[in-house]
Amino acid sequence: MASLLNQIGAVTALNVRSIPQRGWMSVASVVAVALTIAVLLFFLALSNGLSQTVKGSGADDVAIIIREGSNAELNSVVTRDQLSILTTGPGVAQRQGRPSASGELLVIVDGVKRSTSTNANMPFRGIGAEGLALRRGVRITEGRMFNPGTNEIVVGAGLLREFSGFEFGKSIRLRGTTWQIVGVFEAPGTVFESELWADIAVTQSLFNRPNVYQTMRIQLSSPDAVKAFQDWAKTDARLNGLEVLSERAYYARQASQSSAGFMFIGLVLGIMMAIGALAGALNTMYSSVAARSAEIATLRIIGFSGWAAFFGTMVEALMLSAAGGALGILLAFVAFNGRTTSTLGAGFTQLVFQFQLSGGIVFAAIVMAIVIGLVGGFFPGIRAARQRPQLELAAQ
Amino acid sequence: MNDRALMWKNLWRKPVRTILLVVSITIAFAILCVMLSFNDAISNVRTLPTRMITLSKINFTEPLPMAHYDRIARMEGVAVATHMNWFGGYFQEMPRGFLPVFAVDPETYFQVYAEDLQIPAEQRDAFFNDPTAMLVAAPVAEKFGWRVGQRIPIKSNIFTNSTSGDSTWEFMLAGTIPTPQGSSQTGSVLIHYDYFNETRTFGRDRIGWVPFLTTSAELNDRVSNAIDQRFANSADETSTNDEATFNKSFTAQLGNIALVITLVVGSAFIAILLIVGTTMALAVRERTKEVGVMKTLGFSSGRVLRMVLGESMLLAFLGAGFGALLALGLLAMAAGAGGGGPPVSLAPSALLWSALIALGLGLLTGLAPALQAYRMRIIDALGRR
Amino acid sequence: MTDLIRLTDVEKNYTRGKEKISIFDKLTMRIEQGDFVAIMGPSGSGKTTLLNLLGGTDKADKGAIEFDGKRIDNLNEGQLTAWRAANVGFIFQFYNLMPILTAAQNVELPLLLTKLAPKKRRENVATALKIVGLEDRAKHRPREMSGGQQQRVAIARAIVSDPKLLLCDEPTGDLDRTTADEILGTLQVLNRDLGKTIIMVTHDAQAAKFAKRTLHLDKGRFEQAELAA
Repeated sequence: MASLLNQIGAVTALNVRSIPQRGWMSVASVVAVALTIAVLLFFLALSNGLSQTVKGSGADDVAIIIREGSNAELNSVVTRDQLSILTTGPGVAQRQGRPSASGELLVIVDGVKRSTSTNANMPFRGIGAEGLALRRGVRITEGRMFNPGTNEIVVGAGLLREFSGFEFGKSIRLRGTTWQIVGVFEAPGTVFESELWADIAVTQSLFNRPNVYQTMRIQLSSPDAVKAFQDWAKTDARLNGLEVLSERAYYARQASQSSAGFMFIGLVLGIMMAIGALAGALNTMYSSVAARSAEIATLRIIGFSGWAAFFGTMVEALMLSAAGGALGILLAFVAFNGRTTSTLGAGFTQLVFQFQLSGGIVFAAIVMAIVIGLVGGFFPGIRAARQRPQLELAAQ
Repeated sequence: MNDRALMWKNLWRKPVRTILLVVSITIAFAILCVMLSFNDAISNVRTLPTRMITLSKINFTEPLPMAHYDRIARMEGVAVATHMNWFGGYFQEMPRGFLPVFAVDPETYFQVYAEDLQIPAEQRDAFFNDPTAMLVAAPVAEKFGWRVGQRIPIKSNIFTNSTSGDSTWEFMLAGTIPTPQGSSQTGSVLIHYDYFNETRTFGRDRIGWVPFLTTSAELNDRVSNAIDQRFANSADETSTNDEATFNKSFTAQLGNIALVITLVVGSAFIAILLIVGTTMALAVRERTKEVGVMKTLGFSSGRVLRMVLGESMLLAFLGAGFGALLALGLLAMAAGAGGGGPPVSLAPSALLWSALIALGLGLLTGLAPALQAYRMRIIDALGRR
Repeated sequence: MTDLIRLTDVEKNYTRGKEKISIFDKLTMRIEQGDFVAIMGPSGSGKTTLLNLLGGTDKADKGAIEFDGKRIDNLNEGQLTAWRAANVGFIFQFYNLMPILTAAQNVELPLLLTKLAPKKRRENVATALKIVGLEDRAKHRPREMSGGQQQRVAIARAIVSDPKLLLCDEPTGDLDRTTADEILGTLQVLNRDLGKTIIMVTHDAQAAKFAKRTLHLDKGRFEQAELAA
């Protein structure tokens, strides 16, 4: 066994030393693997960033109520009566003697995307008095919160970074009325950072949707209270057709909807490009074996085993694909990890998020690189192992 | 035998190597074709220079009052106007059953979108005369297996049907709309606005947006200004643009698709350019002696150059051809699996780009080895000195 | 008899590193039409360079080379290539057949340079293969044939376009005695019956005996007595 290891070591050293002879080919297959990995990482990081942002928006102990079967808030309807009934449910937290609940209405307004100067859908959310308190981690960083009953808007910092038209201090006209932007809020890593917030009652009246709500958020005493609240809601006929779930569960569902497409595209493209890169790796390794056929024949005459020739080829292939994988991961970290972007989210509005690599994603990339190396080395390795110890070849 | 046969034989000298190269080129071209076809389907909808669209200034999802339509239709410079309303439709389940259902005013809609609505007169009349009728883009009917004359239950994820109390409407399939490449009706489902308006529980007498034709494209700017001025400072301000501008801003919402396509396709092609280029160089280097023999026999340097270039061209076009075929298969599969959205077919522009890129790829990968063969001196090639 | 080849005061130098090596200095020789000449000499005597100059695959630095009464030393690359295709057949030590082509296709290769119709080409290929006795091996590839058979294919390729001159570079260097003698016998037949002028470079005194005469080359010079003959 030790002897085989020694043999493999010796053959591998010969292989590695001969890599410069196939310099350009080796570089080509390394770059091909690197680009494949980078494309895979691009879509996985996109999908992950989108998914993390949406998922990160939900709390365990906040219940969200929407119309059953409505795919997005935009399609949901909750009436004023239902709203008051819901605040009487079990486990509803109280603040300053009032139930901590917010009926909300989401309308879409146009903003201008900074990078392309094209119009884009901005979520404009009317929230109740408790709306801010219901969202932990939201912080006003500039100016102040809007005053209830006025045409005032606060804007998410993420939206401001990607879109123009809602800068702090600016006044804008919507439906013949002037709105003042009085504050900027941060809500790192959540969908809310790409939203505009205003008072619910003003929003309803100015957008001509009197007494219409789409969703309701209720602060419950604890995460465990969600189940009891759901059960209670089912018993009341007036709440028929409404769906109650924890904010976290709601956003988890949205996350899988919005990110699944990118993940799918990433995997399909990644696998397709991997097959292409594999073809490059196989070619390089077949050339490597062909170029060293005399050398391998000589080693076999001396008494080296076919296994040594096989593993020597395998190790060379793995080294090339590992170099490609490392380069691809490096490229991903430098070129796009952490970069902010936006796309149309599940709510039909623009969602600002960051490309986010994760351990799992990098692991997937490494696995793909290793698979390319293993398959790319296996077949040429077999050819190397079958090289007969022919004297005439060795003599050449 | 001739030079072409010789090139072909040279190409297949090492079949495994050639197959691997063809596979990697095929994949790059398949990615190119699929992505360009999707891009084409999204962005290259045929437009009319005289067709304009008025929508809410706030956002196109904000409805406009019905009165706006009547005013726009009577504006100077407007030939004919129609209106459309988003229904939020789907068949059986989301997202597979997603349908872009529009509630329209049939007669004016057929005038504004006349060129894309060439359907048999009896189907058109059947649609006009039955308030519960619907027209469906042919590929959509095919996808769900609907036949003309059938009654189809369509659900809305926005509206509630006042007659039934739930969100389902039943429509009679009056006919199908053929949708050649670039048709504005790709994937469309059309229903009667009046029927929809009477049976919905909220949002009555409001419409989504107003497409119209101007009498001349030169009047576009004047008409759009006049309309937007007319509604300025009202509760429902408008934004009027020509169709092409509207479509562009709509697809821009998805993100910078063109950039992503360029990056991905670019990476795929840089990878194969390197792989094929280095392999071709190696292949010609291995053949040094044979090139020497050919030249000794009297083959001119130019002819040898052409044969090497021809070989790399053959390889590139072989891969491009298979790539287009693979793309055709992938697109057909995607259409069959159906994740919402209308089926996408292979765009002619994708084929054109493939041919151009194949030409470039063949030249780039073949040029260095071809020049090497061209310059090769016989006495060096044969080691005869 | 007329001269097919005439070399007058040919000079040829190579530079190897910084060193300048003179291969020929004022070499003059003539070879008659229909001759069969063996050229012998030690390594480095200039045998291969001479063959290169005669075949137009290398150029002389000075002096005149005439073929069939016309100068070829002042032809350009392209003209030389065309001249070679029409007038010279080459036979190499290691056969140099195309591994991807069958025997018949290898023989047909030089005919791609002519305007012959496919049917006529096939006839010429068949005739050439018949002359070398390989008509039954037409569909075989080089690696399916013995060294002697491969060399026969190479000879067929050299004569298929009916050149006046055959240049052979150690044609039997890689073959055993019996096979070598068969190949040399074939060359003799080509010389005697088809009137081909043959110049053969060889190390092998046995092989040289098949030629009409032998020239000994040493340090770029022939033995004067032989040239006079």
